[in-house]
Order: sequence, then C-alpha cells, then structure tokens
Amino acid sequence: MSDFLLEMRGISKDFSGVKAIDNISLSVRPGECVGLCGENGAGKSTLMKVLSAVYPYGTWSGTILWDGQELKARTIRDTEDAGIVIIHQELMMVPHLSVAENIFLGREITRPGGLMDYPAMHARAEALLAELKMPDVNVALPVMTYGGGHQQLFEIAKALNKNARLLILDEPSSALTATETRTLLDLILDLKRKGVASVYISHKLDEVAEIADTVTVIRDGTHVATRPMAELDTRKIITMMVGREISTLFPREPHPIGDVVFEARNISCWDPDNPRRKLVDDVSFELRRGEILGVAGLVGAGRTELASKLFGCFKGPSEGEIRLDGRPVRITSPRTAVKLGICMVPEDRKRHGIVPLLGVGHNITMSVLGQESRYGFIDSSAEMVEIAAQIDRMRIKTASPLLPIANLSGGNQQKAVVSKMLLPSPKVLILDEPTRGVDVGAKYEIYKLMFELARQGIAILMISSELPEVLGISDRVLVIGEGLLRGNFPNQALSQEKILAAALGKQDALSGDA
Amino acid sequence: MNKKDIRQLFSRYKIVALLFAIAIIWAFFTFETDGDFLTARNFSNLLRQMAITGMLASAMVFVIVATEIDLSVGSMLGLLGGIAAILDVRYRLPLAVVVAIVIGLGILFGLISGYLSAYRRIPSFICTLGLMLVFRGALIGLTGGATIAPVSPSMVAIGQAYLPQLPGDILAVGLFLLLAVVAMRTRANRIRHRLAVPPLWQEVAKLGLYAAIIAGLVYALDSYQGIPLPVLVMMVILGVFSVMSHKTVFGRRIYAVGSNLEATRLSGVNVALVKLLVFGLMGLMCAFAGLTTTGRLAAGSPSAGTGAELDAIASCFIGGTSMRGGIGTVQGALIGALTMASLDNGMSMMGIDTFWQMIVKGAILILAVWMDVVSGSER
Repeated sequence: MSDFLLEMRGISKDFSGVKAIDNISLSVRPGECVGLCGENGAGKSTLMKVLSAVYPYGTWSGTILWDGQELKARTIRDTEDAGIVIIHQELMMVPHLSVAENIFLGREITRPGGLMDYPAMHARAEALLAELKMPDVNVALPVMTYGGGHQQLFEIAKALNKNARLLILDEPSSALTATETRTLLDLILDLKRKGVASVYISHKLDEVAEIADTVTVIRDGTHVATRPMAELDTRKIITMMVGREISTLFPREPHPIGDVVFEARNISCWDPDNPRRKLVDDVSFELRRGEILGVAGLVGAGRTELASKLFGCFKGPSEGEIRLDGRPVRITSPRTAVKLGICMVPEDRKRHGIVPLLGVGHNITMSVLGQESRYGFIDSSAEMVEIAAQIDRMRIKTASPLLPIANLSGGNQQKAVVSKMLLPSPKVLILDEPTRGVDVGAKYEIYKLMFELARQGIAILMISSELPEVLGISDRVLVIGEGLLRGNFPNQALSQEKILAAALGKQDALSGDA
Repeated sequence: MNKKDIRQLFSRYKIVALLFAIAIIWAFFTFETDGDFLTARNFSNLLRQMAITGMLASAMVFVIVATEIDLSVGSMLGLLGGIAAILDVRYRLPLAVVVAIVIGLGILFGLISGYLSAYRRIPSFICTLGLMLVFRGALIGLTGGATIAPVSPSMVAIGQAYLPQLPGDILAVGLFLLLAVVAMRTRANRIRHRLAVPPLWQEVAKLGLYAAIIAGLVYALDSYQGIPLPVLVMMVILGVFSVMSHKTVFGRRIYAVGSNLEATRLSGVNVALVKLLVFGLMGLMCAFAGLTTTGRLAAGSPSAGTGAELDAIASCFIGGTSMRGGIGTVQGALIGALTMASLDNGMSMMGIDTFWQMIVKGAILILAVWMDVVSGSER
C-alpha cells in the first residue's frame, strides 16, 4: 500500500498513430502540490485530459491508481465523483447566471418537484466563499459583475463544493492581475494545509517555485524528471524544460531608431456595452522606425482596446487622430489598416488569430492572398513556395504545411499568426501579448524575431503583462492605467517597481515622464 | 472495432459511404419496381430531376460553409421562373433577353439577402425566412395565381433539350482528360513541394474509376436520348465551383470565414463582402434553377419550387457539409442531391403517396444533420 493519493503509471496516448505522451508517470500525495512544467506541446494538457477522463478509460494505455484502487473513469462526472476536479485555463462560468447558480450548476440543491432551493444554495455558497476569504461577494449577483480574478476563485469554490481532493489548475493565472494571482496562490497554500492536493500547471515558474512541493517536468511527451522543489530553482526547471541552457532570456540586439512613423493623438474609446464608461482616455504617443515600444499596465487597463482602435477593429464608439508618415489616416477596418501597413497579432490566439480548419500554410497566406493572385485565381505553386519559406524562417514545427493549424501547439500557432501578419510587409506591427501561452523556447525565438524586424526598420508596439518582458525587450515603455497614459519612459534605469507604481497612478512615478 | 472507430471511419470515407447508400437505395427501388427503376429512360429522368436540386445545392454549400443559411431559395426560384414565363409569354421577348434579365434579377435578389444578413446583421435564418414569403407573395401577385402558359419552344428547350450523341461523347472524353491533367499536375506540384502523395497506382485507380463513371453515365444517357441540357449545366457548375473553391481567393475565403470569422476579419479580409457574394452566387443559381423549372414544366407556375430549399439544404448535409461551417464540398452536395432525387423518383414510381414522401424527406434531413453532429462531436 502506497501513501500516494494518485499514481499515474506509464501513461501513453496517441492520436491516430502520433504519440502525444509516452510512458509518463506522475504521483501526488494527499495535501501535496505538484508543479507540472513543460513547454507548450510537451503533453501537459493531454496528460491532464487523461486524468480527468476527457479521454475516457480505454483510449489510452497505462494505469491510474486513486487511493490505491485502479480508476477506470469513462466520463468527467466519474472523476469528479472520485474527487478529481480540473479547472481549465479558460473560465467556464455562465456570465448571466448568479455566482451561487454557477457554483451549483449541474448539482443544484432542490426542493421536491425540482424547484431550486435558493436560500440553501446562497447559504452554502457564502460559506464556501468565506472559506476562500472572499466574504464580500454578493452571491445573488450575476457572475459577470465580477472580474476575471474573482471568477477564477468562483471556479475553485465550485470545485470545493464537489468535495475535491485533487485540484488540477491549468494555467490559472494567465488572465489574472498580480494581486489576483497573489490571492489565488495564498488560497492554494491554504487548501494544502487542509489536505487538498493540487497539480499546478503554469508557465510562470516563480509561482510554481513558490507553491509546489514537487516538480515534474515533461518534454516532447516524455518524462524528464520529478524532484522536490527544494532541490530546484526556476533556472534549473527552465533548463530541464528546454533541454538546454538558455544563457539569456532576452536576446537584446542593438538597432538604430529612425524618424517618427506613427502617431496616435488623443485616442479615446468607450465601452460598447456601457457608453458612459471610458476604456481609453485621451492617449497620445508616437512611434519611431525600428523602435520597440512596450505597453505595460494591469489587465483591463485599456491596452487591448487601444490596440484594437489603432487596428480599426474596436467595436464601440471612439475618437482620436492617427498619423502615418506624418499624414492623417482613417482606419475603419482591419483591412484598411493592413493596406496602410499596420498589422496586429491579436491577444486571443484561438478566437482571433487562427482559422482552425485551414492548413498552417493557408493561415499564413491569408492576409496577402488577394494581392498575390491573378484575376482572383491563387497561384498555388507560388503560394507553396512562400509558405515553405515562412515555415522555414519562423521554424514552425508542422508535419505538413497543409495540416489544419488546430493540430499545432500554441507556440507554433503563434509563430504562424505572426508570420501571417508579416507577409503584408507592415511599417507598424502591433503585438498584443505575443508570448502568452507560449513556451520558453518559442518565446526566445519570437524575441529574436522582434529585434530582427526592428533592425529592418519596422516599428513595433508590444503590449505585455509580463514586466520582465517589457523591460527586457522595449526601447521605450508606455504605462497605461485605468485608460489613461500614466507614463512614457525611455527604458533606462527603469524598474518593475517604477512601472507598477505608474500603472497604479502613484504621483511620484510621474516625475520620470519623458 | 468499437463505436468510435466506426464513427471515424464513417466521417473519413463519408462519400464512399454515401455512394454505398445510394447503391442500396437503387437496388431496393429496382427490386420494388420490377426493374423499371434502373432503365436508361428513368435514369435520364432521375438526373433531370436532380439537376434543379443540384444547382441550388451547389451554391447552398457555400452559404452553409460560411455559417449562413438561405431558406428563400425555393420561393426565389419560383419567382424567377415565373418572371421568365411572363417575359416569354406576355411580352414575347427573345430567349437571350429573358435569360439575361432573369440572371440579373437572380443575382440582385441574392445580393438583397446577403446585404440584409452581412451588412445589416439580420440573422440569415430570419431574413431569408421573411424573403421566402416576400418572393412567394410577389410570384402569386405577378401571375395572378394562375399558370402562365404556353411558353415558347426555345424556353422549353432549356429544361427539356438533349445534347446529341457525338458532342456528348466528345465532351465526356474532354472532361476525363481535364480530370487526368488536373490530377497529374496536382501530384507533380505536391511532389515538387515535398508533400505526401498517395501511391501512383491509387491515383491511376481513381482516374480509372472516374473514367468508368463518366463512360457509364454517358452510355446510359446516350442509350436514351443523350445528355439532358440541365444535367450538362449542372456538370459545368460542378466544375466551375470545384475550381472556385480550391483555386480562387474567394473560395479560400469562404472556408476561412466559416471556420473563424473573427480571425479572418483581423487578417484584413472584408468578411461582409465575402458573405454578400456568397448570397449573390446563391441568387444566380436560383436563376438557373428557375429557368430550368419553367422549361421543364413548359409553364410558369405559382407553386413552382415549393420546398426546394429543403431539398437543397438536405442535399448539403447529406453530402457532408458541416452545420458549424468551414467544411463542405460541391461534389458532396451533388451526391446528396442524387440521393434526394433517387428517393423522390423511386417513391413516386412505387406509387407512394406524396405525404409519405414529405415525411421521409423531412426525416432524412434530420438524420443527415444528426450524423454531422455525431461525427463532429469528436472535435
């Protein structure tokens, strides 16, 4: 008899002959937090889908022991009944239902006749949230009243209501602010003391280092190492993840900065659902040839709205002037933006970046197909040559250029999306969270590419929530807070603290305004 | 082999499964009608019946691939056919002028639905449901609720003429050569770009199969009266649309829009224009179908085309078009149309009541979509 709560032994899973994970083992003791690390496409998500029976018993090989007994779950419900609850990267809340209704969704407390027992559910929901140190939440209000951070915690409340003994958290902090992440981490530490075990999957290794007792690293679908966190640090984890030492995370290269190519003047955007709410408030800045301008700020500060306004895809009312090469331009749609030489790689790759059913190559050429065709006919040979060149240049790993892009890992999808936006030869490239959900190796390649583009004279506007990235890459940093431009600093002697202080609107930080 | 394997097998070889289903249907009807079903005469008739549904289905595929729907096509084809009859009978306009006017109106009507759904953002389900009534009402108003007859012989020819044997044979050979050249060029291209190609014997076997199908088809039709003009038109449409979907920017964009509208828009594509044009194409096909219907009936009827939208939509779904958009081929839709026409024709020959035919066809539509949902649930 072992002292493990969960033992996964020799798990393998293939997709029509292609091995996604091969002979991986993972063990969790009661009340232990295991960090699961690996690059995108390493097989972390596949492993967790095996555990939570998204892939039912019989579609993979190996054994899962739960409490010493073999677990043969066929549905997610089976695993939840056993006490394994997965919390996905994307929030799975129904926005218009109340907090309590969401927590009890599928497991409602009812009175005879199927009537909802609201008093009982509200009381229980409040108790759960109090346990999570969130007593201020009104459980009768719709979930959408609360921000992403709260919603993540509601997910956990929902999991606890299912008497979870093992929580699987898949990139839980990717959409959270620093404060929200702090609350989440404290909560997991607290749950550990109460005997709830967890598997924590994250690219943010500092978080893993803080809360994990043991770290398991997988690479290319195989098990690399399982070690106590005490023997490790983030650097060692990175080395194990990529299988090589990364000397520097940010491959800074000198590049000349030229004249002003792009100017945004007095940009304001209003919330399409609530026209009185200003999301971007009178923001002005300029961008020079070959310059990398980082845009920092907290999640929800209005950075994405600003970027979509510049790219012509902001859905609500907006105003302001945009100048390109000194001339005012009217950007009414992404199409006009691309024609003028402004391209954007959107933040949400799945929803806005890829066309899942089209091949990798066809995704790449989508933005230039119209110009490169003759009388509307595609020159397929020329197209294939172009695609091969791009795949080669960006080092996109794909079995075939015609493989539907949905089958690629996140990092490779992102490279394809970037490549799609480079083909129109933009003067200005807007990158909205270019490395979100991208593994360390691909990140490095994306940074290198950014410097190469800057050297070619492309002006880059990079929005990022990761301050080390902003500091490591940018020539200049804009700080946005609550829709306002709160700082415009040259990247010299700049620190994370200074940026954060500016984002939060501390007066003293503004003294450094350039 | 478990249930999932069968499902995957089914979705991968859907077209083969469909041909198999058609073979079963044909065998059944042949048995039930003591062989009358499988005569050259009936085969010719069957294909002519299929032509109208086929024309509609080959554009409907693109509408559905772009995640839209057009419920107005039956009424639209009725109205366009009625207008053709009126221009022919009442105003005695020459055929070329009638055809030109009807085609122009068809494109215009299609663009109206497209404008309403793509630019004014009325869900196409609703706006084409409304237009279905508008077009039918206009038709009844224009015809006064009466049949417009007799139409001129040249008009009748559109629906009833046959291509003589020699040109038909030449066309068949030409078609095969075209297929062979395209297949070989595609293969050469794929090899040049180091893409996986199937073994040569498979390619040759496939071409052999095509040759057998074309030869069988032409032989059967020749032994009756030749290739019916509507069938020829349908075949040309099949060719043009296949090329369009694979080789043109417009075709690529239809599939991109259907697979992820937002990402396509953010790639700098005018997605509303793509949808507008898809509806325009649908209108054009309604014009062809309307002209063919009037020719076939030798009259303009106020009830022409009733229920044709159902046949067209069902054909698409039977032929593997996905309800979620982004997937679907013209070939598939035409095989779907063949299935629907076979059912229609066979049941009529067996003397089954119309009401039963309607029930069966409605059930088949539901079944086809259910198959799509089941085979797609793995994604």
